[in-house]
Amino acid sequence: MTGNVLALGIGIAALGVALGLGLIGYSALQGMSRQPEAIGKLQTVMLIAFAFVELVFLLTVFVVPGAMPR
Amino acid sequence: MSYAGLFIYLLIVLAVIFGSMAMSKSGLNAKVIKNPIAQLYEQLYLFIENMTVGIIGGHGRRYIPMMMTIWLVVFVSNMVSLFFPAAPSGDLSFNIALALVCVGYVQWEGMKANGVFGHFGHFAGPKLGLALIPITLMIFVIEIISEVMKNVSLSLRLFGNIHGGHEAVVKLNEIGAPIYVPLGFFLLPIKFLTCIVQALIFTLLTCVYISLVTHHEEEHGGHDEGHGEMAHAH
Repeated sequence: MTGNVLALGIGIAALGVALGLGLIGYSALQGMSRQPEAIGKLQTVMLIAFAFVELVFLLTVFVVPGAMPR
Repeated sequence: MSYAGLFIYLLIVLAVIFGSMAMSKSGLNAKVIKNPIAQLYEQLYLFIENMTVGIIGGHGRRYIPMMMTIWLVVFVSNMVSLFFPAAPSGDLSFNIALALVCVGYVQWEGMKANGVFGHFGHFAGPKLGLALIPITLMIFVIEIISEVMKNVSLSLRLFGNIHGGHEAVVKLNEIGAPIYVPLGFFLLPIKFLTCIVQALIFTLLTCVYISLVTHHEEEHGGHDEGHGEMAHAH
């Protein structure tokens, strides 16, 4: 078996973040289609939530390799 | 990247910003603005004004210049990453400096809006009794930590997106090397999208932080109005 634990961990992080982003997009799209006049507000909140979810993956990618025991 | 290299890329960013703004100033005396660059800047101003006033509220109009500056700097230094192997916002030091400026500006505006003690008292949460002093202290410490983490989150997000885009392009080029196809080229549209979205998010989050810090200044009429609107929406 080749590869290391880090690659597996980053894969799991990507999986979770993809699920989170999908949920945000799903619910935002549903809200927008139910209430088209609220699109502006929903987009703002959606982008903020995107940013926070995305940060988790970036933290995983850039912080965990430094914290791994060599 | 060395600091000299970073400085050269920063000079490119500044040259683009100041050059395009100087070009947009020509022909401003005419009744109708026909200069395309000026029209572009007008649209950008409307966009930023919409965002700032929409998030912060009516008194947010005075933060537009800062938001505009942040948007321009972040966006242009993101755009540099489309044409060059490195970019100012692809370097963590530049991003940390930018985030420090933004969070420091938020503190400054909070102190201006609420007074120094009001601003730091804001960190301590709601006014509890004297018996609950430990809880107030804990809330204060947690709020200070979250204030510091704002720097980290702002800078690391921008750095991760831009640097990650570069890494992805390099890896795709390696994959396409045996068949002589620069596969990384096909990432350009999504990198362009990332440029816009990251500049937007950086500005948006600064707006949100400012609105969190300065919203006590308004009387509660606007607050109730917002609630009524939400209730109406439901």
